[in-house]
Amino acid sequence: MSRILKSLSAILTALAILAYVGYLVVYVAYAVDLFRWPFDYDQGEGFELYDAILYSQGEWPYRDNSTYPFYASNYPPLFHLLIVPLLPIVGPRLIAGRLVSFTATLITSTVIFAVVRRKAGGWFIPIASGLAFLASNYVYQIGPLCRMHMTMVMFETLAIAFIAEFEQPQHGRRNLILGLLMLFCAGYTKQMAVFTVAAALSFVFLHDVKKAIGAGAALTIAAGIAFWLLNTATDGQWWINIIQANVNEFDYRQTVFLFSQWLRLHTVFVLLAGGYLAYELFWDRLSAYSLWFFFALGAGALSGKWGAGFGYFTTAIAAACLTSGLALGRLRNIDRRLQIADRQSPPSILQSPPSILHSPLSNLQSLFFSTLPVLIPLLYLFQAPRMLHLPTAGPVFGPLAHALGVADALIEGDCTTFQYHDTMGYTQLGHLLTTDDYAAGEKILNYVRTADGPVFSEEAMFSLLADEPVVTNPTQLLNLYNNGLLDMTEIIERINRQEFGVIIFRAQFYPAPVLEAIGQNYQPVEHVCMNGFYYHILWPHRRLDSLSGPSNERCALSIAR
Amino acid sequence: MVTKRQLGIIVIALSLLAIFGVTAVDFIGAGKWGGFGPLQRIGIGLGVAAIAVGLILIRLGNRPA
Repeated sequence: MSRILKSLSAILTALAILAYVGYLVVYVAYAVDLFRWPFDYDQGEGFELYDAILYSQGEWPYRDNSTYPFYASNYPPLFHLLIVPLLPIVGPRLIAGRLVSFTATLITSTVIFAVVRRKAGGWFIPIASGLAFLASNYVYQIGPLCRMHMTMVMFETLAIAFIAEFEQPQHGRRNLILGLLMLFCAGYTKQMAVFTVAAALSFVFLHDVKKAIGAGAALTIAAGIAFWLLNTATDGQWWINIIQANVNEFDYRQTVFLFSQWLRLHTVFVLLAGGYLAYELFWDRLSAYSLWFFFALGAGALSGKWGAGFGYFTTAIAAACLTSGLALGRLRNIDRRLQIADRQSPPSILQSPPSILHSPLSNLQSLFFSTLPVLIPLLYLFQAPRMLHLPTAGPVFGPLAHALGVADALIEGDCTTFQYHDTMGYTQLGHLLTTDDYAAGEKILNYVRTADGPVFSEEAMFSLLADEPVVTNPTQLLNLYNNGLLDMTEIIERINRQEFGVIIFRAQFYPAPVLEAIGQNYQPVEHVCMNGFYYHILWPHRRLDSLSGPSNERCALSIAR
Repeated sequence: MVTKRQLGIIVIALSLLAIFGVTAVDFIGAGKWGGFGPLQRIGIGLGVAAIAVGLILIRLGNRPA
């Protein structure tokens, strides 16, 4: 390689590392900001924490939704069980779950790095592949949330890393068992891991049919026994809440939109991973990683389900980052082998060609391979701005956003403009919290503390922070209602009796009859803008009626404030 | 060990099954579109593409998949 190319390669490599380390800094800053935020940032976080609290009290979160407090979880237990040991340390606060999820993303990134390093060697490509995962807009946004999805991706990545080495002479059996254990953990973190299970077992099947049947049977029996035990222990509520409640309406247009967005944001990784899959399919043996990438697209295809979203692509992103690293590593190693062969004995290239090349190198191929050390960092640099996301305010991010020319390209929330830029376009996540958000949270919490009855809140954290019982899991009620599985007699009777002291809406994801009953018995008293959304506070008519005259009403409202 | 040819046959068999399933939903009255819906068109397209991949794999013979 000429001196100019070497220097150029070094400069571009340094710039690429700088770009992806920059994304890591943005990710850590966002995570730390969220760790401090006591309220739900994403609707559902509080319910995941509440599940962990129930486990810590020896109770199941799989309950009958038709009786008070009308609450049940619709997710498997593992993520919530991982939170439990942190509860005595940090208390019943969201930081427990956010730490678990954030750590899971760091482990996933490290596994991607380790696999690419082991398979492809070198430092730049493994580091860039690992950091690329954390640089993804999707991973950034949901990584530090108290949600189980990224923990599932961690188990999936570990499972594939182990299963890929199931034929290793020394530790093959151990790797297979560990891989199956990780698949079990992934499945009992979130049901969507079924696609990775299919990928892993398909890989074993291609290499050893008998082992695949044995492994598949072992996993099915273990998962089946756990399933039966859980269903028996919860009187059948596990089946209703985990399986039946998750049959939702599917909108293919949402899937098409999210697929095109995913491709637009992660173009280089997806094209490289796709190319590597095609190469292995037709010219080499399929690896566990390529198969994983392929099957992960199936998870993405489910993103059109009601309640689903871009998070369904995070497995595919992990697979794409890993597989693209392997693809580039393979290309670079061919270049290195060619250089060594060239130095040793030029005719030997013809006698023992590398697998990808079956003819003497043309000038174009020669040029391509000689410029690879420049092209590879250039590819990572080309990809970096496609995923651009960063806060646009503050002493560091403000000037940086100005320098990058995105200081004015902000995202509009329902009731505020987020000081945040994302090439993804509109998103409800990713921005940092402001002092106004904290003040708004306290204002809503004051309504909860002064309520004269149970709190009917669409988010659990208001109740948990005020030591009130958590009443309803709205999306679960809606799912069950849509599937004809919810008896609403008791909840509507209680609403009609105006038993709930305050109602807090954000998205109004309740069944229509519940919303109608609330509309007839409760009245909005304030709309509080927090975290970019309006939170609608409603009081029962009886409370407003008991205040004689408008002056008293104003007085009461001012008390709540 | 599964060969490319065997993999090709598996891929074609699964694709034909998928195409049959996608077409059959109309006969059992599933789906919300009256005629041949957009999801069905996507399904048939992917099935045909997979059959093409399967045919190429069959031609690759007994190399390990």
